[in-house]
Amino acid sequence: MTSEISLKDLKELDSRYNIFTSMTAEESVDAEFVFSAKDNLTSKDFETRAGSRILEGYTPGFDATPIRRMRDAGGFLAGKTNMDEFGFGTFSANSAYGIPRNPFDTNRSCGGSSGGAACAAAILENHVALGVSTGGSISCPASFCGVFGITPTYGRVSRYGLIDYGNSLDKVGILSAKAADLTKYLPIISGKDHRDPTSCVQPDMRRSLRRIRSVAVPKEAIDGISEDVMKSFESALELLRSMSIDVEYVGMPSLKYSIPAYYVIATSEASTNLARYCGMRYGQQEGDLTLKFDDYFSSIRSKYFGDEAKRRILLGTFTRMVGYADRYYNKALQVRQVIIAEYKGIFKTHDAVLTPTMPFVSPRFDDISKMSALQSYKADFLTVPPNISGTPHLSVPCGYSEGMPVGMQFITDHWNEDLLLSMATEWENAFDIRHPEVKL
Amino acid sequence: MFCSCPTTGADAPNTHVCPTCLGMPGSRPSLNGKALELGLTIAKMLKCEIPKTTWFSRKTYFYPDLCKHFQITQYDTPIGEKGVYHLGKKPIRITRVHLEEDPGKIKRVGDGSSLVDYNRSGVPLVEIVTEPDISSPAEARQFLSELLTEIRYTIDLPEDGERSVRCDCNISVGTERCEVKNVTGLKNVERCLTFEAVRQTKLLKAGRTIERETRHFDEERKVTMPARKKEYEADYGYIGEPDLGIFHIARIAENIKLRESPLNMASRFQSEYGLDERTAKQIVTTSMKLAELFEELIKVSDVQTAKTWITGNISAYWKGFEPSDEEKKDLISMISDFHTGRITDTECNIRIRSLMTGEGQKEMTDSAADLDRLIDAFIDENPSVVADYRKNDRAANRIIGSVMKQTGGRYSSADIVDATRRLMDARSQRSDA
Repeated sequence: MTSEISLKDLKELDSRYNIFTSMTAEESVDAEFVFSAKDNLTSKDFETRAGSRILEGYTPGFDATPIRRMRDAGGFLAGKTNMDEFGFGTFSANSAYGIPRNPFDTNRSCGGSSGGAACAAAILENHVALGVSTGGSISCPASFCGVFGITPTYGRVSRYGLIDYGNSLDKVGILSAKAADLTKYLPIISGKDHRDPTSCVQPDMRRSLRRIRSVAVPKEAIDGISEDVMKSFESALELLRSMSIDVEYVGMPSLKYSIPAYYVIATSEASTNLARYCGMRYGQQEGDLTLKFDDYFSSIRSKYFGDEAKRRILLGTFTRMVGYADRYYNKALQVRQVIIAEYKGIFKTHDAVLTPTMPFVSPRFDDISKMSALQSYKADFLTVPPNISGTPHLSVPCGYSEGMPVGMQFITDHWNEDLLLSMATEWENAFDIRHPEVKL
Repeated sequence: MFCSCPTTGADAPNTHVCPTCLGMPGSRPSLNGKALELGLTIAKMLKCEIPKTTWFSRKTYFYPDLCKHFQITQYDTPIGEKGVYHLGKKPIRITRVHLEEDPGKIKRVGDGSSLVDYNRSGVPLVEIVTEPDISSPAEARQFLSELLTEIRYTIDLPEDGERSVRCDCNISVGTERCEVKNVTGLKNVERCLTFEAVRQTKLLKAGRTIERETRHFDEERKVTMPARKKEYEADYGYIGEPDLGIFHIARIAENIKLRESPLNMASRFQSEYGLDERTAKQIVTTSMKLAELFEELIKVSDVQTAKTWITGNISAYWKGFEPSDEEKKDLISMISDFHTGRITDTECNIRIRSLMTGEGQKEMTDSAADLDRLIDAFIDENPSVVADYRKNDRAANRIIGSVMKQTGGRYSSADIVDATRRLMDARSQRSDA
């Protein structure tokens, strides 16, 4: 059943929060529901630039499979949400199209890289946002904006139409203020798609959702957590116990290798994916055509890629180089297997692994500008492990520190999204979730 | 290789393209199972070791014909390794056989600019690498020629279409090698290798060293020119292709049944039927269907009869005639009838010609009558030949030679011989009486 849905506040909210990189001009639509998609999912009716200047003016010829499936289910695509350039960032501050602002405090970040998606999920009414995670880009902004964010198992949702960051890590997921939306929309975007062979090996998702009865908290994950986050996390553990869920501390020593392994794999893959943007077939084409082709390519890439994109291209090219590939890239692939094995060991005795999502609440923009690249990479140390292992995970709001939301993250074994979906609903009923005040 | 675009028959440049072979952001590769199977067939034909699993890799380099600026190819797990191909008795070791996608094609246009046609982008490509076992440009050419015949038959590749062969020719006369990339045509392979051998020898004789480099062959001027300093394979920063995953190929390879290759069949014809090498090779290189027919004919007659007809008229008419199953059956029953004596060889010849050239039987008989008239005329003009023939039947050769010259190939020599003998026998009997 479709119904008239008003979109008249969209423009006003976008001008205040920088949610979208492109959006509909409609004031109201007749649809079953309204959704948005991160700017790295291709769609025929909007420019798709993945937050990068190099793709300015690029309107794809086809819809990404998750977008097509949402449309087929009666959804109206309201716009493309803001993000770090190609997904490279933790605060959405690396977007070429303005920085999305946190709905709880506009001087703070929405998190990244699906910052616009989390912001949309937090402040737009009845809105479901498609996000993409490579190393935590759904969990992090969900945590900073106080919404639910589910990242399914690698291969659960087709990546056809997703502009690649790291193909062996990228996953399309869902952010929403309501737990029920995850349960409703995840099955819609999931399933085999012959256009993405990695989606074709999945088992069906369970229809009757099982419940999480026990969680394991890795000791390594609570080292280096800010005090306020720790306080919220501990009271959340209490609440879980009261819901008759076992909570046990465990050791996961391999977790500390996940950040270096992740950045090696992700940047290696990214540096090959970004090779196509050079002003030839893809990327801005306004360079000096009298140059030799490689000089021309370099001039376009130098001009239109942002600093973080350049940094990751250099990192990834280095780790693939002669004499270094075995030391970095191939080693990182082995580390990934070790981390997966460690998770599998825990899942023999526990339904889920639980950690805070981010080590701190959303930082202020002036603090972010003082952070080094390495400091911001390290901020991902809790979201990277499930991403490098391809295990599904869910971030839920679990507390508030000086008005800013704190998030925690459940991780289950491959293909066990059903445990996370039931947890989202259960948690929504047990925990007092706050919503940002948005005055129009 | 990774999409469903047609590989041949494009009406115009950039018409056989899709998001995947254009490398559009968000598009993904998906392995063409048939290409994998054909690649494995070739690896198997070359007696390669085939691994249990294989995967693809990204080879990253910037060049305008490569839309993603990485080529999906195979690096550390080719579909076949350590094979061998026997060139006559000489083993040529096969280093590896791997699959990859072809880049687009650059076309230089007059004013110093270039156009790119991506129709070829993504077309499946099999690369076969040999060990340095080839010792002369002529041998290289012969190797390629035989290899291509074998491959065409083994994977049942039609002769037409845009399927192409490009050869990267590596050659060293000292210790360092040069690679001449993308040479097309067997003749050019031999030419370019000969040129390089001479060039490198001259350099060494002059006390200079040979630098490892990539060169290209200028077909017009028939010389090789330096293209760029040779990169080592590891310079391409290979990583695994994450979008395609791992393929379990051992079982696929096991289930592939190899057709007997032309040269194997030729050597079997020698050992099994006692054919000489030239005849055996001639049969299989004319057509493998002809070779198959040869074996069918042996079943209904004998080796000698089958050989005579196959290398005689059937071969002569073969070009432009692909017998259907029905026609094949007719041919077999004609030879069978001849073998059992139900028809004479003249009748058999007429029938075969009629079937294979489409000329009507009546015309055949008419032209046979014409032949008879010509022979009769010769005998009338040279009456002594009849007497000579009675002493020695080789005298008929005079008639045969003259009629053959006179008719300039209108009749087969077999027909002329048959007709002459028949008429001479008749005349000599008459004069006996």
